Amino acid sequence: MDILALLAFDDTGWGDEMLMGMVITLLVSVSAMAIGLVFSVFATMSKLSNNVFSRVLGNTYTTVVRGIPELLVIYLFFFGFNNALMAAAKSLFNYHEYFEFPVFLTAAIAVGIISGAYSTEVIRGSFLAVPKGQIEAAKSVGMSKFQIFHRILVPQVMRYALPGLGNVWQLTLKDTALISVMAIAEIMRTAQIAAGNTKEPFVFYIFAAILYLTLTTVSTHALNSAENWANKGVRRA
Amino acid sequence: MANALEIKHLVKSFGDLEVIKDVSLTADQGDVICIIGSSGSGKSTLLRCINLLETPNSGEVLVNGELIKMSLDKKGQPQPGDHLQVDRIRTKLAMVFQDFNLWSHMTVLQNVIEAPVHVQKINKIEATKCGLELLTKVGITEKADDYPSSLSGGQQQRVAIARALAVNPDILLFDEPTSSLDPELVGEVLKVMKSLAGEGRTMIVVTHEMGFAREVASKVVFLHNGRIEEQGAPSEIFNSPKSERLKQFLASNLEG
Repeated sequence: MDILALLAFDDTGWGDEMLMGMVITLLVSVSAMAIGLVFSVFATMSKLSNNVFSRVLGNTYTTVVRGIPELLVIYLFFFGFNNALMAAAKSLFNYHEYFEFPVFLTAAIAVGIISGAYSTEVIRGSFLAVPKGQIEAAKSVGMSKFQIFHRILVPQVMRYALPGLGNVWQLTLKDTALISVMAIAEIMRTAQIAAGNTKEPFVFYIFAAILYLTLTTVSTHALNSAENWANKGVRRA
Repeated sequence: MANALEIKHLVKSFGDLEVIKDVSLTADQGDVICIIGSSGSGKSTLLRCINLLETPNSGEVLVNGELIKMSLDKKGQPQPGDHLQVDRIRTKLAMVFQDFNLWSHMTVLQNVIEAPVHVQKINKIEATKCGLELLTKVGITEKADDYPSSLSGGQQQRVAIARALAVNPDILLFDEPTSSLDPELVGEVLKVMKSLAGEGRTMIVVTHEMGFAREVASKVVFLHNGRIEEQGAPSEIFNSPKSERLKQFLASNLEG
């Protein structure tokens, strides 16, 4: 069987399945990154807060998630989350039936937890990098806290955070390979199945690598343009 | 008519260090008050207490006769009592900083119209028109669409002055506006400040520029260790200083 037939877009070839896997990978990555960013905004606020309890909470999150293997985070979440939900349903709503939380969402949240821990460090650093004078100038003309946040702070934090977040995005994209253990047919899982069925593992793993590289290369270009846009007004040395 | 600015028995400390010790000061409409003194005398802190960038420990600040309300937080520390009042009064007290502090992600014109449009809710077309007039006034019209990073220090500070003027403040606060500038750029900023004084604007200026204080000030205040050591008309302060410390300060600052 030649390679083109293996990767054909028909019932015998695996091309269409692999492309579908790429779409799933992209969907999980985008959802995970978005969920992670939400986590990281809250975690950043906790870590920069004056309240000791909330600082401990934020630090625990980033320390634990960054400190254990990502595959382990995914296993813990995959096996723990549904049980926790069922236990909650039982105690809160007296609901005793077995149910399963949608596996796609479980996967996105699991990867989001990992992605968020890394984003937190990026965003926290970026907040601290905004010169104090920028905020004082805003206060001195009577801007409210909210106006300072969204007119001055956010655009400048974005500028410092984008390179780091681009890095987190690439990690997130690759971390989605780990959710193949949840039997979601993303690139990695599809390649495994195809390899097993055709006894041509090398062909499919190479093809998977090409698909990942395509995703990372295209998104890196997009991120570079975003960085250029955010950095308007910054003089380059 | 109320004084433009009145400071009563202001005290400010950072931890155990008392930086401002019971300072009282009044400015009438059109006064140009220059605050001089050596580094660490508390000049900048005093200025920053006026618009509450620093929260005073005790004392009162009145702007056009309106008292800035203070309250105590949970730990018994003073804090602004009414944030809406503080925000409103701050637009009457625009400040020019030593390090310009122009918003780096906005163009020159965007910097100038930011507060009029978003704080004072002035129509953007109207604000842009006023903004360009102010830029003409400080002599940088041609840089309106440039970003601050491409401007010289003197140009940035003139933009900062235009930004402060844009909110149409009653009082302008200057915090060592020429201290970060190369010597050859100081003149262009002082020239703008002189013309503002000439228009009868009320200005409180913390400065090391003795020539400016002598020529422009209606009153000079000499601060030493957080207290007003001596104050008066420039001619008195510079020509017949009474306190020993002021004499020493002038001797070391007027030579070079």
